[in-house]
Amino acid sequence: MKYILSSVSALLLLGIMGCTDLEEGIYGQQVADDFYATPIGVNAALADVYAEIRGDWNGKGIAGADRGWFDLNESCTDEMMIPTREDGAWEDNGIWRAMYTHTWTGSQEFIGNTWNWLYRAVFKGNLAVELLEGAGADPAQIAEARVLRAYFYYMLMDGWGDVPFYTQNNVTVDQIPQTDRAEIYDWVVSELETYVPQLDETIGGKFYGRFNKWAGYALMSKVFINSEEYSGVGEWQKVINACDAIIGSNNFSLVQTMYDEAGEEAIFGDRLSDEEVILSMFVDGQVAPRNIIGIRTLHGPHSTALFGFGGWNGSTVHQDFYLKYDEDDKRREQWLVGLQPGDVTYNLTISSLTSAGITDGVRSSKYFPVPPFDGNSSTSNDFPIFRYADILLTKAEAILRSGGSESDARALVDEVRNRAGLDDFAGTMTLEEIYDERGRELCWEGHRRQDMIRFGTFLQAHDFKPVSDAKYKLFPIPAVAIANNPTLTQNDGY
Amino acid sequence: MNHFYKKMGQQTAWNWGAEWLKKSLFLCLVLATFVASAQSVTVSGKITDATDGSGLPGVTIQEKGTSNGTTTDFDGNFQLTVSSSDAVLVISSVGFASQEIVVGNQTFISISLTEDVTALGEIVVIGYGTVQKSDLTGSVDRINSENLNPGPITNPLQQLNGRAAGVNINQVGSEPGQGPAIRIRGITSLIGGNDPLVVVDGVQGDMGLLRQVPPSEIESVEILKDASATAIYGSRGAAGVVIITTKKGVRGTAQVEYAGVYSFESISNSYDMMNADQWRFLAAERGISESADYGGDTDWFDEITRNGSTQTHNVAISGGNENFTYRSSITAILQEGIILNSSSENYIARFQGTQTLNDKVSFTFNLNTSTSVNDYNGAGRIGEALDRRPTDPIYTDNPLYDDTGDYFIDPNSFAYINPLARTKEIVDGDRTNNLLGSMRLDYKIIDGLTASAFGSWRRTARKYESYTSARTTLENARNIGDASTVPDINDLPDGIAFQENNYSDEKLYNLILNYEKSFGDHSFNFVGVNEYQIQTYEGNSLRSRGFLVDNEGNLQSMQAADPTLFIAGDVRSYKSDRKLASFLGRVNYSFKDRYYISASFRRDGSSVFGANNKWANFFATSVAWRISDEAFMSSVGFIDNLKLRVGYGETGNQQGLGPLNSVRLANTAGTAFFGGSLISNFAITQNENADLRWEVKKMYNAGIDFGLMDSKLTGTVDFFYGKTSDLLFDYQVPQPPYPFGTIKANIGEVLNQGIELSLNYYLIDEADWGVTLGGNLSSIRTEVLDLNGSLNGLPLETDYVVWGSGGTTGVASTNNAINHLIIGQPLGAFYLFKHAGVDQDGNQIIDDLDGDGVVEDGNRENDDRYLAGQPLPKLTWAFTPTARFKSFDMSMVLRGALGHQIYNARKATLSTLSGLGQRNMLVSAASTGIENITYASDYWLEDGDYIRLENLSFGYNVNTANIKTFKSLRVSFIATNLFVITKYSGIDPELSVSGGGGFGIDYGIYPRTRSYAIGVNATF
Repeated sequence: MKYILSSVSALLLLGIMGCTDLEEGIYGQQVADDFYATPIGVNAALADVYAEIRGDWNGKGIAGADRGWFDLNESCTDEMMIPTREDGAWEDNGIWRAMYTHTWTGSQEFIGNTWNWLYRAVFKGNLAVELLEGAGADPAQIAEARVLRAYFYYMLMDGWGDVPFYTQNNVTVDQIPQTDRAEIYDWVVSELETYVPQLDETIGGKFYGRFNKWAGYALMSKVFINSEEYSGVGEWQKVINACDAIIGSNNFSLVQTMYDEAGEEAIFGDRLSDEEVILSMFVDGQVAPRNIIGIRTLHGPHSTALFGFGGWNGSTVHQDFYLKYDEDDKRREQWLVGLQPGDVTYNLTISSLTSAGITDGVRSSKYFPVPPFDGNSSTSNDFPIFRYADILLTKAEAILRSGGSESDARALVDEVRNRAGLDDFAGTMTLEEIYDERGRELCWEGHRRQDMIRFGTFLQAHDFKPVSDAKYKLFPIPAVAIANNPTLTQNDGY
Repeated sequence: MNHFYKKMGQQTAWNWGAEWLKKSLFLCLVLATFVASAQSVTVSGKITDATDGSGLPGVTIQEKGTSNGTTTDFDGNFQLTVSSSDAVLVISSVGFASQEIVVGNQTFISISLTEDVTALGEIVVIGYGTVQKSDLTGSVDRINSENLNPGPITNPLQQLNGRAAGVNINQVGSEPGQGPAIRIRGITSLIGGNDPLVVVDGVQGDMGLLRQVPPSEIESVEILKDASATAIYGSRGAAGVVIITTKKGVRGTAQVEYAGVYSFESISNSYDMMNADQWRFLAAERGISESADYGGDTDWFDEITRNGSTQTHNVAISGGNENFTYRSSITAILQEGIILNSSSENYIARFQGTQTLNDKVSFTFNLNTSTSVNDYNGAGRIGEALDRRPTDPIYTDNPLYDDTGDYFIDPNSFAYINPLARTKEIVDGDRTNNLLGSMRLDYKIIDGLTASAFGSWRRTARKYESYTSARTTLENARNIGDASTVPDINDLPDGIAFQENNYSDEKLYNLILNYEKSFGDHSFNFVGVNEYQIQTYEGNSLRSRGFLVDNEGNLQSMQAADPTLFIAGDVRSYKSDRKLASFLGRVNYSFKDRYYISASFRRDGSSVFGANNKWANFFATSVAWRISDEAFMSSVGFIDNLKLRVGYGETGNQQGLGPLNSVRLANTAGTAFFGGSLISNFAITQNENADLRWEVKKMYNAGIDFGLMDSKLTGTVDFFYGKTSDLLFDYQVPQPPYPFGTIKANIGEVLNQGIELSLNYYLIDEADWGVTLGGNLSSIRTEVLDLNGSLNGLPLETDYVVWGSGGTTGVASTNNAINHLIIGQPLGAFYLFKHAGVDQDGNQIIDDLDGDGVVEDGNRENDDRYLAGQPLPKLTWAFTPTARFKSFDMSMVLRGALGHQIYNARKATLSTLSGLGQRNMLVSAASTGIENITYASDYWLEDGDYIRLENLSFGYNVNTANIKTFKSLRVSFIATNLFVITKYSGIDPELSVSGGGGFGIDYGIYPRTRSYAIGVNATF
């Protein structure tokens, strides 16, 4: 009896005490608060911001993946078009045509992708700044995080104008006011002017693909050259100062051998030249894939013959743009026209935007695929964000706009011309000539939309594009963003 | 008073009562004088089975109105001392009609019991206990083994098809190894999971557990449908509970049983695609360049399909004696799919035994091990085959590449896949080993009070392998690597090898205390349980690519891959766990076997609930009234049984919550190039929500069980009204400030209400022949009640949420939404543009419904869209008659669904003529004249109503009286899916009704088969 009783009580007791352990096993995952409190975490937070520049395959990233920032800023210009082919390829619900003819709406995919990408980048930038400052890190690192964050806000105000602005995470949406473009511009300027001088000066090596001081000045030059658009006041002297900081450091020069696809002196390729490229985005086809620009332009059999996988036969450029190159211009070689390996012949003329011939259109070899490849999903070409040739041309432009010496401006442009195998410019240097030179030199590098807006050609009609309304100088705030935050005011006209 | 005195006389063990007794002994003696002359009588007797006169063990003999009773021994004998000769003995046993007899002058009573035709005495398994069917207060359907669907059964759910009202068994296509989905009383949740909890002999698990149950070993299936029955399972019971009880050992001489089925399967329906001549003709008409015609003549669908077969074999042996019974079985279920290179094999071995140690303690154990091996080739192969031009040859003399064999590849098509190559050359399959063991100790503490301890342990190990060689013609498996270092493209390494291992470890233990007591007209039962479960999941995967010798042998030497081709993510591992702790209790009380009340309570704590909501409480209650026992009903002769049941309960659903969903994590997220080199990147990858909790379902149920005309007609009607609130859903949040666009939050409500009816009628019930008519129907409305709420003060509102979209190439992503969640409308209502015709360019003309001159773009609320239908049927029914004539028997399941539509997206894609140059089209495409589809319109919305003859079987019981080896032998012929009557033009009108995003849209399914099978059942 006692034995039975005690065993029953024991069972009951076991049951009642029972197990109420409800701890979740973490097993190799990192709880964010714990992780970011460690030095490794702090470093990782900064690295993550750079990973965000490369973004993901869903159109979030500066370049490389399609339907992101690069496409947003290039497909609405005269230097890149993706026509719908006669067999229906690239129809894609008309998104490419809508960009080219300036008929996009707030539900356009690229606009939503880029907006979401930039605000995710801002979130990570805020996190990195907070952690680095909280951990009392090296001022150069703090400066790096701050400049990165300013870079993202620069792209936001460049694209949309008045946007939500916040610098602290963990706030609710009503604490993030939609701020005027001019105010954001002022903030960006003050951040850059304070922190760019604190950035590290190393070029390449550990700073390949990172914001060093020279990349910071290059960013400043961009912000100031467009300042008339942003704030109404053109700060041309500040442009010249920023460019001079780079030129005067004697760290950069124009690489003289262009388009040597396999050589180390090449500007473009697997690793960009530290001599000429000031800031790059690192890509490796297998471990950090994100560059389809090169594959996208080649036609299937052409690329199969060369690399064993098919190209996408998408992006081309209209013949008018191609014909802006002088016959002797070495840069003309980057444009592929005529018979190619794989028995493919690219036609110079594009017959139509809605039903182009399969091999219509001149193709670009600027990002000619370099291995290692990720099948036909990515090559290893790195992407140039800021380049020395751009700095020279920007300074020339600022000189002319501020009424400075025409001959100084012409000398700068001549440096670029000479490198391209052309003689010095005969005649007076004009803004229009600089505009065209920028087009020829910096095509497919993400600068064209800004240039067209600044030089007033963005809304004009050209080849298949009619005249577009002034509202298109800014992108509309994505429909989804307004649906989720009704306090936002849409840009005029949308 | 008296009986307690008697008890003391019989059980002297209760020392702790003795003290109390001594004090009241005087009182007892005084009281004793008031009792009518108490002359105790000892009566003995024998209870036999009326059918064969054999003694019946385990029969209960009880003195009516007291707790004085005993049970018969092995031979059916008993002895009982009752209070007086006026005592009434109640003799009852499971499955037999009870009898009552007055003791009178008899000292030896002989009773023979007949089987209970009405089966009201049947025992029904409910959560953590059993109850007599007549005493049931909730809505529970019990399906016995003889009523389970016969045939080539590969998953126990197929045996339930059409057998229970309100239970929808949804088999989409006949892919080997893929079991059907089960939905009980509609769709309970949007993204939180709708699978019911599965309990097999006390072991709780998910749908995967069903694969370990051999279909021929099932004794009964109980489906708990209403919340008052499922509330006892707390936060896992919202979607219903399926309880499976397997056959147990039976004492007596050992018996060997064999059950086998062999079936031949063929595709029941396919698309009418153009052949080579038709394609050429249409292509010429449209001016498509001749270069797209490669001169072949191929029926791709035919090339990749074949006839299939299924065979199942089951051998079981059972036996035992008074103290030990066992049952052991070995099962093999083998399926060859109708697509080449697809198959499934499932081998299950189990051993179950029960040992009674003494009259207080018994011990049950269960061992189950199974291995299943699958080879996969799924619906994607069908899609690829339908898309391929019939003028493409299969083979060519001049292959484009050296390493793809002779398969034809079109150099001008982007990412061309040769369907036959893709189907034949792929190696893709897995092997899963399961081991399940459970033990249960039952201890009868005192009369009426039992304690049980139960523990179960289930371990699964799955190994998945796939090898993609260049010969599959998949582009990413061919020429991997650096073309600049190798002179010839064709010498680049090929092939991708991938292996994945998944392990799961599930432990459950519970302690049950069960107390039953009857006194007078009152009967009372209490159950108390403490339960704890822990499930751990872990696994790893590896991938390597680029082999010089391109064949699947590389799976066993993955290190032979090109070492320069490794990328981040090729090697992965993971581990996570879930824990659940529960306390629960249930009380049942009945008065005069006529009035019943039941109440249950459960408290669950789960590790996946957010930190702010770790513990959940669930409460349920139900009452029942056996109206037919009332005095006023005795004059109504044709009603034998009428019982009214009303119940209410709350249950929860936590399937949608994953481990660590509520915690902010810094996860590995690819790589970052930083500091001159590539490093692992860590990033916050989700918007976490610390308030995450279970979904709550509250359901009211009212039902009537009736039996009329001497129980020839029996049936049940149930009405239910259930609301799921705190629905898990992904809400869009503003970016900024959230880094990601959505967050999971518990907001929102869904309503399920409906009526179920099931009837059974013995039309003819003679000795030689009989016909019964049976059937059920249910009508359920599932409606989205609310999607709005707030999270931490942030209003989260949404309506007109896109629930299914796309699948129709060419439609702008701004206009491709097909079905939606709309507040106040059925779940997944079709909200579409109205097709008004085709213009001369072949573009759709869309009706401007709001008359403003413009057809608005947009997938959300849009005045140019209208409510065009719903994907869930308004009425589902099944008709299940049986017939028997001497040794022949026949049974049938005819079932159907009415009142719903299907969006035939597959037909849309196969009809857009602008793609003709690259693809094949339906023969009907030419006459639609549609070049491009630019809107998701109602043109492709079709009536989905259907009637299907699911199952038709004929059996013959061979007379084994003269055959020595066999005790019984039955031969049967079973046809499955004999025909479907429907207006739907796709290959089968039965699509997934799982409730998840995109249900109701036919994107292309694995074909359904028709099968003819022969079966043999023998006992030796």
